[in-house]
Amino acid sequence: MDSSFTSWERLLTLPQVLAGTPMLAIAMTILAFFAADRLYIAIGRPVWLPPVVPAATILAGMIVLLGLDADSYREGADWLMLLLGPATVALGVPLYQNIHHIRAMLWPIVITLPIAASLAVAYTLVIAWALGASPTVMVSLAPKSVTAAIALGIGDTIGSSVPLLMAALLITGVFSTLCVEVAVRLLKITDERVIGFALGLNGHAIGTVRAFEISTTAGAFSSLGMSLTGLFTALFLPIMFRL
Amino acid sequence: MSILRGFLILVLFFLLGESLRLVFEVPVSGGILGLMLLTLYLMVTGGVGHSVASASQALISVLILLIMPGLTEIFFISGKFSGQWLAVIVSLLVGTFLSVVTTLVLLNALARKLSGGANSHG
Repeated sequence: MDSSFTSWERLLTLPQVLAGTPMLAIAMTILAFFAADRLYIAIGRPVWLPPVVPAATILAGMIVLLGLDADSYREGADWLMLLLGPATVALGVPLYQNIHHIRAMLWPIVITLPIAASLAVAYTLVIAWALGASPTVMVSLAPKSVTAAIALGIGDTIGSSVPLLMAALLITGVFSTLCVEVAVRLLKITDERVIGFALGLNGHAIGTVRAFEISTTAGAFSSLGMSLTGLFTALFLPIMFRL
Repeated sequence: MSILRGFLILVLFFLLGESLRLVFEVPVSGGILGLMLLTLYLMVTGGVGHSVASASQALISVLILLIMPGLTEIFFISGKFSGQWLAVIVSLLVGTFLSVVTTLVLLNALARKLSGGANSHG
């Protein structure tokens, strides 16, 4: 740092300088995670609010308060997000541990998957089209129920806008967990396997995080729903848009 | 050390998935391919080692931490696509609600019919 600045000025530019290392972004993310956890418990764990929402809001607030721009935060956080790869692989363990549950549900899942995963795309596209969405918006909304890493690959193939695709994924993930909470009460569904699968099929990783809060069985079915929807959509969407 | 050994195995499965994706140009992420390979491997060998189980549990418990940065970006992109946001929000919310209800009703009905009520909660 330039020694002609006063200590005060050096203090003020500190966030920008520290943002040059990933450590600031990593510390901010973990700090926001714990702060949100406290807040979430303090307000009595409301079902309408998935914990990832207060966490992301607190994090956005910290970025603004420190005067950082979203891109420099993102560069640092990319180091943390490298763990998303092995974390996805890790979902194979609860999946294996629940394999007997999955075997018992094999046919219901085989029948539900193509119908529900196609309708997840179709419902949204039809409504967006009716409301006059542009073709770019439509192709960006299409992979909305697929986990981020796969969705970005699909988006590349069909020509999506990356920020809009990410926004669609996240809105869908958060809203899916909320819808599942409400719909399960209304429909009086108690089968954790069904609840888990619906969370993973519609709400990808965000739904899966919620499913693991319910139970490992729900989490395993959610991982399964997320993986199968990812596979199915990755194969089916590019073909559909080519027609 | 045990958790580190488990982490290494998870990373190796991820790299294996990435390699398959790149070599065969599969449109699926390396993570999901690695997940499937790991599940298959565990089914063949018939058990989860202590190290893989503890590394997996540790990573799954911080999964929320890994999706926070992406979600935060929503707050910073609102300027783009002005005029399209109504269509985007309405179609996502209504579409997601309909597809959640469809999945729940369909799978619940099939689960009762095909896998029998008696052991459905087993």
